[in-house]
Amino acid sequence: MTKVTLTVNGETRTASVPPEMTLLRMLREELNLTGSKLGCDVGDCGACTVLVDGKAVNSCLMLAGQADGRDVLTIEGLATMERLHPIQQAFEEKGSLQCGFCGPGVIMSAKALLDDNPDPTEQEIRDALAGNLCRCTGYSKMIEAIQAVARGESARPARKSA
Amino acid sequence: MDKKAGVIDKEAPVQTVRDTQELLRAPAGAPLVPLPLEVVVPEARQQTPAVRQRATRPDARMHGLGQTKYIDDFYLPGMLYARVKRAGIASARILSIDTKDAEAMPGVVAVLTGRDVPCNSFGPSLKDQPVLASERVFHAGDGVAAVAAVTEQIANEALEKIKVEYEPIRPVLDPLESLHLETPGIHAPNPNIYGHKVIKKGDVEKGFAQSYRIFEASYRTQMVEHVPLEPHSTVATWDANGRVTIYSSLGRITLGRSDIARTLAVPMSRIRIVATVVGGNFGGKNEIRTEPVVALLAKKTGRPVKYTFTRPEEFTSSTTRHPLVMDYKTGVSKEGRILARQIRLVLDGGAYCSWSETTLAKALILSAGPYNIENLAAEAFVVYTNKTMTGAMRGFGAPQVCFAYESQMDDIAKALDIDPLQIRLLNVLREGSLSPTGQTLQSVVVRETLLQAAQRFGWNGAGKGTRA
Repeated sequence: MTKVTLTVNGETRTASVPPEMTLLRMLREELNLTGSKLGCDVGDCGACTVLVDGKAVNSCLMLAGQADGRDVLTIEGLATMERLHPIQQAFEEKGSLQCGFCGPGVIMSAKALLDDNPDPTEQEIRDALAGNLCRCTGYSKMIEAIQAVARGESARPARKSA
Repeated sequence: MDKKAGVIDKEAPVQTVRDTQELLRAPAGAPLVPLPLEVVVPEARQQTPAVRQRATRPDARMHGLGQTKYIDDFYLPGMLYARVKRAGIASARILSIDTKDAEAMPGVVAVLTGRDVPCNSFGPSLKDQPVLASERVFHAGDGVAAVAAVTEQIANEALEKIKVEYEPIRPVLDPLESLHLETPGIHAPNPNIYGHKVIKKGDVEKGFAQSYRIFEASYRTQMVEHVPLEPHSTVATWDANGRVTIYSSLGRITLGRSDIARTLAVPMSRIRIVATVVGGNFGGKNEIRTEPVVALLAKKTGRPVKYTFTRPEEFTSSTTRHPLVMDYKTGVSKEGRILARQIRLVLDGGAYCSWSETTLAKALILSAGPYNIENLAAEAFVVYTNKTMTGAMRGFGAPQVCFAYESQMDDIAKALDIDPLQIRLLNVLREGSLSPTGQTLQSVVVRETLLQAAQRFGWNGAGKGTRA
């Protein structure tokens, strides 16, 4: 077993995990953060996307041990009790989520993009979502939502989350 | 009776019997009683208030927060993880299955084979699928043994210790080969052709005789997997009274419950299915898949068991879209009017029936296309092959035949040097046209739709005779 200590959504978390355990499984199974999804387990679908030190990564391809000492942000770390993150708000309003399984990963990819580039072109958004597969909604409404956030349309104080 | 809008009083066109107490008491062989039948005429062309309105999904907030709980997101105390060993061979006789080494592994709590399944067959129509193959492998994705272990990884390792001895049987992979009567039956003694339907309208021979030109072509489509982002997942747990609760990504729970009851040989009243949020279905989660295995492992171990498909299993061991071989023969007048069309569809059903009969019927009914064809003869077969089973998928056969008839329309337009839009406008169904099965069609706006679409994307005939 390997002892892994990392910062997750601003809190220091420690778990003793088998050396072959991926970051995704550690988040889901050890820390009960099930918002990041296992869709393919080979880095194709992007449903497991989280931010590690601000960069979007497929957490199914990273060993938990590799994340030791690093700063991890998951979908659970975006909203506060008072407000949704603007990307979450925009995805809700633009109807960007249907079955919702790819949603957390897409939103995390969008977050990494906007942190890095607050005013992306449509092509830059498409490139940022290239590693996220969606099977229901398609990508147009997601792109619309990300553009709305970039334009500041979704920055107003959100309704309290239900 | 009051005259209600949209309801017409009418004598039933055929003799109809209602299941009244009187009729049930009537002696066998008593004449059928004709009863009046209300014919409901749909209120066509009415715009509902929902059209053009923006709506947000009530579940979108939880999705976006990552708080929606799909099956794989929850855990029950003491839960075990199941994995299934896949045959990896398309067609074979199973000589022996040795599970001793797997059972001896620390962390392995139970191993299951087809012999442990009370009733080892199921299916939404024909009961031709084994829960776990015990004597015969029908396609490479068949499960041959299942393991429940304390971790998924131990379960995976245990699969490698299960030894299965196969005697390979030559697989039948081409649906046209399967169609031949001399090809050995995959599910012998049952024939390989397990569904057949014919639609006839008018006289095709007469239509072909009157035709200016006759076009013949064959079209094929490939197998397509639904690829839901959420793989199939099931959790099962039994209570002390012998009732099982199954949490499942299954879409049709009432239908699934009867099939699960069959395989477990317990009454339906003992089975509770909890359908949670599903991460994409597209038709691929319309029948039971892993539920019996998970329920049986949970029963054998006395602990809750979870089984989530891997992505490869999603491709090899769930249903897919039927590949079709479609032969079209179409006779047209000099102006491009279709005078006769003859169609043969061969559906590759894969190893099991699943929803093939529905797909067969819908593909056949739609195979003539949205065109008014007086003389039509269409025939469809569905056959077994030693491939991944095919079943329900968005459209039930409609997209495949659309590919064929629209491809042929383009070929005809090109050969006759007619604008592809014009040849369609010349032939499309109109208000009151008869469908291939003789239904009077209402609310038909194919022509208007085509014209509006052509206007929207700027079709000006520039693509005359070629694909736009």
